[in-house]
Amino acid sequence: MNKTTKGLTRRTVLSAAAAIGVTRVARAQQPAEVKVGLIVPLSGIYTRPGQVMKMGAEMGIEHINAQGGVKALGGAKLKLVVIDCGDTTEKAKNAAQRMVAQEPDLVAATGAYLSSFTLAVTEVTERAELPVLTLSYSDLLTDRGFKYIFQTAATASRQSELGLPTLMKLAEAASGKRPKTVAMLMDNTATSVATAKALKEKLLAQEGLQLVVEEVWTPPLSDATPLIQKVRSAKPDLLLFMPNAVSDAKLGLEKISEFGLGQGKIPTVSFSITIAEPDMLQSVSPDVVQGIMTIVANWGSKGHEDLIAELKAKYKEPWMTQNVISTYGDMWLMKEALEKAGKADRQAVAQAFRTMDAGPSKYYPGGQLKFDEKGRRVGAGVVIVQWQSGVPVTVYPPELAQAQPFWPKKS
Amino acid sequence: MTVPQLRSLVPALVFTIAYAAISLSVTNSYYQLVLTLVPVWAVFGLSWNLLSGYTGLISFGHAAFFGIGAYTTALGQIYFDLSPWLLIPVAAMLGGIAGLLIGFPTFRLQGHYFALAMLAYPLAILYVFEWLGFQEVTLPIKRDAPIAYMQFADPRLYTLLALAIMLATILLTRVIERSRFGMALLAIKQNEAAAEAAGINTLAWKLRAITLSGAVAAAIGAFYAQVLLVVTPQSVFGMLVSAQALTVAMFGGVGTVWGPVIGSVILIPLAETLHAEAGARFPGIQGVIFGFAIICVILVAPEGLFWKLRDLLRKRLAPKATATLDESHAPATTVAAPRPARQRAATGEVVLEVRNLSRSFGGLKAVQNVSFKLHKNEILGIIGPNGAGKTTLFNLLNGFLRPNQGEVLIDGRNMSGERPHTICEAGIGRTFQVMRPFLRMSILDNVVVGAYVRARTDEEARKLAADAIARVGLSAVADRIAGELSTKELRLMELARALAGQPRILLLDETLPGLGHGEADEVVAVIQQLARDGMTIAIIEHTMQAMVRLVDSFLVLDHGAVITEGEPEVVTRDNRVIEAYLGKKWMAHAPH
Repeated sequence: MNKTTKGLTRRTVLSAAAAIGVTRVARAQQPAEVKVGLIVPLSGIYTRPGQVMKMGAEMGIEHINAQGGVKALGGAKLKLVVIDCGDTTEKAKNAAQRMVAQEPDLVAATGAYLSSFTLAVTEVTERAELPVLTLSYSDLLTDRGFKYIFQTAATASRQSELGLPTLMKLAEAASGKRPKTVAMLMDNTATSVATAKALKEKLLAQEGLQLVVEEVWTPPLSDATPLIQKVRSAKPDLLLFMPNAVSDAKLGLEKISEFGLGQGKIPTVSFSITIAEPDMLQSVSPDVVQGIMTIVANWGSKGHEDLIAELKAKYKEPWMTQNVISTYGDMWLMKEALEKAGKADRQAVAQAFRTMDAGPSKYYPGGQLKFDEKGRRVGAGVVIVQWQSGVPVTVYPPELAQAQPFWPKKS
Repeated sequence: MTVPQLRSLVPALVFTIAYAAISLSVTNSYYQLVLTLVPVWAVFGLSWNLLSGYTGLISFGHAAFFGIGAYTTALGQIYFDLSPWLLIPVAAMLGGIAGLLIGFPTFRLQGHYFALAMLAYPLAILYVFEWLGFQEVTLPIKRDAPIAYMQFADPRLYTLLALAIMLATILLTRVIERSRFGMALLAIKQNEAAAEAAGINTLAWKLRAITLSGAVAAAIGAFYAQVLLVVTPQSVFGMLVSAQALTVAMFGGVGTVWGPVIGSVILIPLAETLHAEAGARFPGIQGVIFGFAIICVILVAPEGLFWKLRDLLRKRLAPKATATLDESHAPATTVAAPRPARQRAATGEVVLEVRNLSRSFGGLKAVQNVSFKLHKNEILGIIGPNGAGKTTLFNLLNGFLRPNQGEVLIDGRNMSGERPHTICEAGIGRTFQVMRPFLRMSILDNVVVGAYVRARTDEEARKLAADAIARVGLSAVADRIAGELSTKELRLMELARALAGQPRILLLDETLPGLGHGEADEVVAVIQQLARDGMTIAIIEHTMQAMVRLVDSFLVLDHGAVITEGEPEVVTRDNRVIEAYLGKKWMAHAPH
């Protein structure tokens, strides 16, 4: 009895072991996982956008894996490696170095948020030949002759080129007359400066706009009174208000409202997502922001309803900003490149990005899933978002619009 | 350089070689980057230490120099296509010029005011660079000539280069530390006024220090840009950059070459590790832990780790040390010659003449119309009740204060209103009521500070200092640390410091308080011996018993004015003096 039992047991054990061994070998032949990186600020003052980007990335990975992973790699699953790039350029550079040194099997990465950080990060990834997608839109990023950076958003200067004429048309259609004078209030961060440069050098003249007030501040803004006073006395047809920090946006908008210029008395337009961040509602009431528009590189739009609902349910985010949708789209773009490359190799993936031509893009506005020789997405467009009843909704382009735009009427 | 100086460089060389060996064995590019940043921030800390550590003038604005350096390499490459090999020295030069330009107006301020003013420079420059449109500058990638543009494929080369800069900075700091430059800076740190009085042109030395410090900071900033590859105003002029210099230096130890190095070696990898390990799990926690660690160290070792460790080590070795000291520690007895063997010299040539000297502070007439003559080889005792204007008179004599009216003639030349170091050069030395020893320095080093006013070389200064120490009878303990001395030895040491500048006139401000009876006699004996050797002395003192035996004549002040002057026997019997100062009791006990 005893003997047989023992024998049986031993045999069972052996075969079980063998079985396990076989599966291990089988797994090793097909990569079960392909690692992709997300390098975003998760500490310091830019934590919040970093967290939101992480939400987008996680949702993307989840959806891709649930739909069978990377088919060209035998259904390999994507695995997200999250790296905190901190709140300074040096930390971003160090984090990027850590990413390429400690995670040698990454095939691609996305992130960095602030263009200064993206600049530092891509200096490292370029040398490590790791392809990086980014939603940062500084022109400089893709002006350095780099081969491993791919910019999904329209560049800052392109955004103003695209945005302003559209805005003018919108104004004309809604109010019956073209704005003639414009005031510009901006902070001096790199993005604002780049946008303003494009506006002043070319676009304002092109659209027949006369710049009547131009004021620049260094964040953080401590008092918006002198700025808004100038706007009030100049009475422009249009106010371009370009803050990059929620606190600055709040101060400016409250002052606009306090001076009786809000509610569309002077139509106000911004060029960044700051003014449409969920945080805004924590500090100002919906009627202060009602009607304010912003021109952004991406936004949750028509066709993203399910995603927006999922985001709301899962992460309690009230709406989908550029950070979520772009990062979500980046995951799909990486998957697309992996399918094309057919192997989990960063060089092959980079080459796939360069040669990709995957038709219209689902998660970025306008253009194709195709990159030009600088690494800029071909035909990348912009989205105009307008605050309507406490929610910033996409109002342009028409094919993505969730609602009709309204042009605040000058009373 | 002398042999002991060379020997003192051995630890620095050993450290550098060991560090280089470790870094050569590291192939992970991330660890290598951290290894590069350690010497970078160490050098920045050293440059801060060069100014603030040695002079005690805290600079919150060293990012100004750092940023100038960083932008020099970045803009020089972008606009002029120059190589960083050339741009780093250029950056150092610009940093030095910036130091001079910043230092000149800012050194008018002292203490907190200086610190706060320094804070403003990088912040102001930051906005200038933003305004100029240099928010984000990237160094152009040079694929065809990487070495010529300091763009190494092997990151270990960056570490080696950073190490070389660090070693050079350590050597530079060591040389300065041991020269008259370092001594002057230390003297300024302890007491700027006393340093001036010891013949040190404090403004000139401070300007030299900030120029050098700015140059080093700019050079390392220039190199840092080369490592970071992206330059933004925030990353090189920001508050955090200035703070980094303070953090590494204060953590490691201020006023020593090892402080910033220790601070950097510990803090930079710690911050990175926290960022990588803790930050990945609990984003943001790294800052909390880092800050907490710094607070703990500052609480336990307020002067920095280096000094704490050194003190601990000293304590452990102390039993041995005292044993050896006891043998050699011949108590600093002076060759106490039996009392007055000296002829009173009352009518030699006049070396110092004061005419109608007055000074008031608002409505208070601290010194009014004081006139007297000091003859060669005379000992003049200045007495009077508290607040009579005695110390103010000394301050007028040695240039701390400008008189409202009147003249101070030294050898017939009017020197009133001159800076203290100029007056010191003219031959007036002084000691202070409140002792200002440099506690961590040896007696010899303390005294050397005073010798530089006469000495042209370090060698000569050491010799003058040794002579001065011998004159006060402290030769046997010359190598001991001032912090271990008794009050009497400290008083004698102060005297030696004043003597080392070989003055012809010595102003002694209350040299005897706090001394026991026997001790006071020893000090008095030393002063008498000085007089016997031909020194002219003016002394403020309250211990009348000692004074009467010591001085040739008295000058009695009350309410800033001279009541009387003359020989001790006469003055002590003067009713006005008795009433104003000595009191009735004096009559009963007075030595007759």
